[in-house]
Amino acid sequence: MHVDLKREVTHSSAGIFGITALALIVLLALFAPLLAGYDPIAQSVHSFLAPSWSHPLGTNHVGQDIWSQLVYGARTSLMIGVLVALLSTLLGATVGASAALIGGMYDRIMMRIVDALIVIPIIIVLILVAAYLRPSVWTIIVLLSLLGWQGGARIVRAQALSLKEKMHVAAARSFGAGTLYLMYRHIVPDLSPILLVEFIYAMRRAVFMEAGLAFIGISDPNVVSWGVMMREALEYSYLNVWVWWLLPAGIALSLLIISVTFIGHSMEPVMDPRLRGEASA
Amino acid sequence: MRILSKRNALTYAIALLFILSLNFILPRLMPGDPLMAIYGKEALVQMSPQLQAELVHRFSLDQALWQQLGAYFAALFHGDLGYSYYYNAPVVNVILGRLPWTLLLVGLSLLISTVLGVVLGIESGWRRGTRTDRTMLTGLMALNGFPDFFIGMVLLLMFGVLLGILPLAGAISPYSGLSGGALVLDVLKHLALPLASLTLAHLASGYLLTRNTMITVLKEPYMLTAKAKGLSQRLLKYRHAGRNSMLPVITMTGIWLGKVVTGTLFVEIVFSYPGLGYLTYEALLFRDYAIIQGVLLLVATLVLAANFMVDLSYSRLDPRVSYAR
Repeated sequence: MHVDLKREVTHSSAGIFGITALALIVLLALFAPLLAGYDPIAQSVHSFLAPSWSHPLGTNHVGQDIWSQLVYGARTSLMIGVLVALLSTLLGATVGASAALIGGMYDRIMMRIVDALIVIPIIIVLILVAAYLRPSVWTIIVLLSLLGWQGGARIVRAQALSLKEKMHVAAARSFGAGTLYLMYRHIVPDLSPILLVEFIYAMRRAVFMEAGLAFIGISDPNVVSWGVMMREALEYSYLNVWVWWLLPAGIALSLLIISVTFIGHSMEPVMDPRLRGEASA
Repeated sequence: MRILSKRNALTYAIALLFILSLNFILPRLMPGDPLMAIYGKEALVQMSPQLQAELVHRFSLDQALWQQLGAYFAALFHGDLGYSYYYNAPVVNVILGRLPWTLLLVGLSLLISTVLGVVLGIESGWRRGTRTDRTMLTGLMALNGFPDFFIGMVLLLMFGVLLGILPLAGAISPYSGLSGGALVLDVLKHLALPLASLTLAHLASGYLLTRNTMITVLKEPYMLTAKAKGLSQRLLKYRHAGRNSMLPVITMTGIWLGKVVTGTLFVEIVFSYPGLGYLTYEALLFRDYAIIQGVLLLVATLVLAANFMVDLSYSRLDPRVSYAR
């Protein structure tokens, strides 16, 4: 597959916007200890302070510094997003490519499982399982990955099926290459642009789901999360504190999701070349 | 029509089985007493020994696992989803009491956002590459990035808190004793903001899909023929291109239903709207797991049933689809 992902992204203004915004959030997360100024979960007696030089976004109901929480929240969202995207893309690629290569009964069973996972409302399954397990960050990552690979598997399978018939794969096979070798040597590398697009969308889903779960109260109590900030801030919507508490958290989360969406969309011609030549939207 | 593929039936069977086994196994996998896992430590302390004994008997928890499984299915078959200790009522009754509000919200927002999304998609695809198209595409994609619950909060703060023209929470004004037209108006007022949040959050899905299909459809030879016949713009756009661009939308409705249901869960919490989402939230707060299990089973069944119906209707809409794959 001969496509230049970098060119696709940098040739659209949405792609450039996405990359810039994402880079900004990544920098925020990387330099969180330098930028924060306070321990994001350290409580103090100074609750509901208005923004000032020492607390740029004021403090919340238990006296935590909101700016520090915002900065550390970027770490949580990015870490969970990237790890879940990595795991679920890997899982999806493995299932999809092996189903295409092995075929037969295995293929049929795997694809029925994929279809079933696509129609099940995943979020309620997550709520139920997480409610029983009292989650840590790691349980959330594993759960989101285990329930997030199905879409990728389907796409990878379709692409791998057509790749399988290509000359170089047939040649390798005629030399006696095994399924695993074919998969990791020929199929997966050729699929890398598609896997990258899948990775981006998986990350978008994971960031959204983590924030959503945290918003309804399923989160690791030791970790700062934008979703938790929004839930806590919403309880005090009758005070004017939402201006520097709820809005920054919501905007940060939206900005991250939008940037990832834009990057993904600018890569879309890779999946569907008919869309290429799209005016730089 | 008659041959609804075995493939789809199997998919739904697997999905349902997955949910059922999750509901059955999860409480029993937890260390300790399953009764405690189902109801939580806090609840168990409050329960009378008689109630505990009755529950053990009811779930056959004193018997072998396969007998428990039998009892579980027998109970399900009778529409028994367990007992909610917090609401002190059968789970089925609690859920059915909340269901209408969620159905109202989900149904209306799915309808409005899909119709609006398709129309916008047709208009945008027709003008592909123009300034209008680009503005719409960028705008709707950005909108797509806002989480539904954040859209809800912003609307709540704008119209509820700042302007104070719409109610902040609930589905009807409590103790108002309204009836007739006043009641309808009251319900609509409470519905407006949650409905708007969900519709806005979901608008982009229909739009993006229709626009993409529209772009491919516009290149089809029959479009050229239609144009050569001298058909009017409106006919070309809606009857020829638009109608054919709608098919993928119909296929996706089933999957979108799942997405909108998920969105409703969040939006209901923002507006304390008394549907299934808010119920789940309350159940989580009070660790009333039987409720969450019931909601999961019911919502999953509804989404599966809707997908099944979409499959059925699809072959009617597009005669080319043969289900004999």
